[in-house]
Amino acid sequence: MNKVITINLNGVAYQLEEGGYDALRAYLDSAARPLEGNPDREEIITDIEQAIADKFRALLRAHKTVVNAKEVAAVLAEMGPVEDDSASAASADDTTGTARATAAHGTTNVESDGVRRLYRIYPEGAMLSGVCNGLGAYFGLDPTLFRIGFVLLAMLWGTGVLAYVIMVLLIPHAKTSAEKAAATGAAATAQEFIKRAKAGYYEGMKSFRDKHARRAWKRKFKQETRSWKFGFQKHMHEQSQQWEQQWQGPWVTPPIAGPVFIAPLLSLLLLVLVICMFYAIYSLVTAHAVFGVVLPATIPLWVGLIIIIVLYQIVSWPIKVLRYSCYHPGTYGGCGPGPFGGLFGSLIGLFFLGFGIWMLDRHVPEFHEWLVQLPDLLHRLVDTVQGWFVQKGNP
Amino acid sequence: MSLDEKFTAIRKGLLEFLVLKIIAADQVYAADILKQLNATEFATQEGTLYPLLSKLRREELVNYEWQESESGPPRKYYELTAKGREALRETQDYWQKINTTVKNLGQK
Repeated sequence: MNKVITINLNGVAYQLEEGGYDALRAYLDSAARPLEGNPDREEIITDIEQAIADKFRALLRAHKTVVNAKEVAAVLAEMGPVEDDSASAASADDTTGTARATAAHGTTNVESDGVRRLYRIYPEGAMLSGVCNGLGAYFGLDPTLFRIGFVLLAMLWGTGVLAYVIMVLLIPHAKTSAEKAAATGAAATAQEFIKRAKAGYYEGMKSFRDKHARRAWKRKFKQETRSWKFGFQKHMHEQSQQWEQQWQGPWVTPPIAGPVFIAPLLSLLLLVLVICMFYAIYSLVTAHAVFGVVLPATIPLWVGLIIIIVLYQIVSWPIKVLRYSCYHPGTYGGCGPGPFGGLFGSLIGLFFLGFGIWMLDRHVPEFHEWLVQLPDLLHRLVDTVQGWFVQKGNP
Repeated sequence: MSLDEKFTAIRKGLLEFLVLKIIAADQVYAADILKQLNATEFATQEGTLYPLLSKLRREELVNYEWQESESGPPRKYYELTAKGREALRETQDYWQKINTTVKNLGQK
């Protein structure tokens, strides 16, 4: 019978015989030594502890709750000594790499004034260029909120797209760890923290003193808006009565200009899209995946549903516009080919372009490789443009 | 020295190349990489693999995401980045070159 020591490996408790504990302690200590200069030291040790925990778990049963010394020795022999010949190399060269790693672990190197700056944070957790990521860090909110905001804006005649591109070019990219810490507004020292707390208190005091003035102003403001509301409602009433008197005649479907079969075809296409959307919602709810694309764990379900609906709106919007133009020929023309079919032609053209790209991607491997590299290329391009801008400012 | 011992240095040098190849074929857990390697002459241990994976991630050749699992804590699921694919291709070409040299050297 031997003494048992309970240890904690990544949040789970394991009971080891005393001799086994000593061996494990010695192993972990000697594992930490070669990792001295390694910026990922803690992460590697966590991984190693997790692997050890997995091997322990495999040895335990309902009737066997202790890992004895012999088993510990066997597990440690299986793990092998920790070798890190990259430690010296990493500290010598590639300072940006190590700087990134320190930032990824959220340590040191902060702007001395503790001011929060707006940066683009890429590539940690960014989807396209880290714009929403940086905005989220600046305001302390989930970047997904900003992504939805941009998508919604994009539906308003593409302002979202324009705003996004402008932001990509203007907002600097947080490269060094100092900038990354500033993006999340870390207060550097205790002094900084105390100063901030005092400032917040005085802010509160100031508005407190103006309490009476604020109340009077609020009352006046409410009175004014109420009078506006009544005046507006009266005006609307009169208008609607006039309008009803003038409106006559039954509802008539306007004639279709251009080839007659186009409009019903578009409606059919829309119906297919609606069915696809409902199927996507169903598959998202039951299997957490749509057409084989798995929902990342960080995005909650309701956000996924909203994304599906938004995607449907985006894809169906041009089709709806076309269908509308079929019924109301005007500056945008009817729905057939010919002088007014530009809109129609461009949609079909877009469709074929998309289909062509997809087919190429599937069947031509070099194209696929090039396509995979495209985001990287774009990022480098954006960085060059930004660098060029900065240079122009500092001759 | 047995043949195994003579080739230890070569096996160590090739390890990074092989790990990149394994990750390129499919997304894998660290445990899968070990399982695949242990079936070959390049059997290796966690103590060697984890620091290596860490170095590859720092050089942005691989990336990982946390995969939840019902039985146990979340695990790292590794995949190759575009930069990693590029590096793998270069290493592959270099390996081919060496191979050809080794084959042709000494032949008349």
